[in-house]
Amino acid sequence: MKRLIALSMMALLSLGFGAGASHAENYGKQKVVYHINFDEEKRLKAALGNIQNHITAVGKDNLDLRVVMHGPGVDLLKIANKNPDFQDKISNLKRQGVRFNVCNNTLVGRKIDYKNDLYDVSKEDIVPSGVAEVAALQAQGFSYVKP
Amino acid sequence: MNNQEQKFSDEFINAFVDDQLTPEEKAQVYARLAGDEMLSRQICELRKTRDLVQLAYKQPPLPARGMATLSAGRKVGLCLAAGLMLLIGGVGGWFLHQPPGQAIAVAQKTPADDTPAKVLFHVSDGRADRLKNALDDVEELLKHYRRSNQTARVEVVANGEGLGLLLAGISPYAERVQQMQRDYHSLTFVACQNTIERYQQELGFTVKLLPGVVTIDSGVAQIMRRQHQGWAYIQG
Repeated sequence: MKRLIALSMMALLSLGFGAGASHAENYGKQKVVYHINFDEEKRLKAALGNIQNHITAVGKDNLDLRVVMHGPGVDLLKIANKNPDFQDKISNLKRQGVRFNVCNNTLVGRKIDYKNDLYDVSKEDIVPSGVAEVAALQAQGFSYVKP
Repeated sequence: MNNQEQKFSDEFINAFVDDQLTPEEKAQVYARLAGDEMLSRQICELRKTRDLVQLAYKQPPLPARGMATLSAGRKVGLCLAAGLMLLIGGVGGWFLHQPPGQAIAVAQKTPADDTPAKVLFHVSDGRADRLKNALDDVEELLKHYRRSNQTARVEVVANGEGLGLLLAGISPYAERVQQMQRDYHSLTFVACQNTIERYQQELGFTVKLLPGVVTIDSGVAQIMRRQHQGWAYIQG
């Protein structure tokens, strides 16, 4: 009987340690905003890589990750519109729960037609002001990353 | 302008540092700051002291460690007991633990809508197109808050190469910086004193800030302070 109790304790403990090795125990839940207001293709591509690495490290279920684009940063989706590699990367990130938000002021100011000029943007993805969104998210507990 | 003519009282300057002044009074101080190095330094010092005091209170003294007075044997006993408690707690907790999503939702409550938005813009890139983008962003943000009737405080902190934005005779956007200050009283341009001193050493002459620009001891320290105080950070 004693052996049985000891064995079941061991089993429980190993289960506990098993959970300890998961992403959540390493980094906990995270809320992060990636701020994109630049248009260099190389840097944008690197940013998409950063985001994927971030998800891999923390685990998609532990992460509320928003990408906020405004000004020249909207070019990310403009480039993606003609670049299958960018399309793959962005769709892949979206499947892992990443939200890509576009600044309405930029769309108006630069006369961008989001349905035709940008890759995969719907109405819900548009925020009134990209900068204000970045600030507001931080007030809601999101950490700021400028890739 | 003769600075001796109408010296601010210490109470007035303290009130400024503690953010107790009306926008008009603050504007008076800002207007004087650029040309009055003594005043600027005095405010810097006061701010530093205030922040140190605030930081000091943020970390309450740790309780005295009672363990030190225990004998070694009792320590081992205590450790074993503590280990056992941890084990029981851990196993119990494993059974009881809730979906983590709920805990997060409680811990990170959205602040009420009437709290002012506080945003620090960091400008450290001196390239003209970057400076223009940064000013566009700042103006866009201020417009947004004005449209949505939200009270806000926005600080533009310039250091490193970004300091050029705020220097008279050097800034490509001197007129615009001043116009923005006139248009938005919630906006402050802040120059890093460390960078100013470095510039002066390297260039060999005294740099002059644009009217209304405030100085701070260290731009980087200011960024840390503001984030501690709950400000949002945006890199221009």
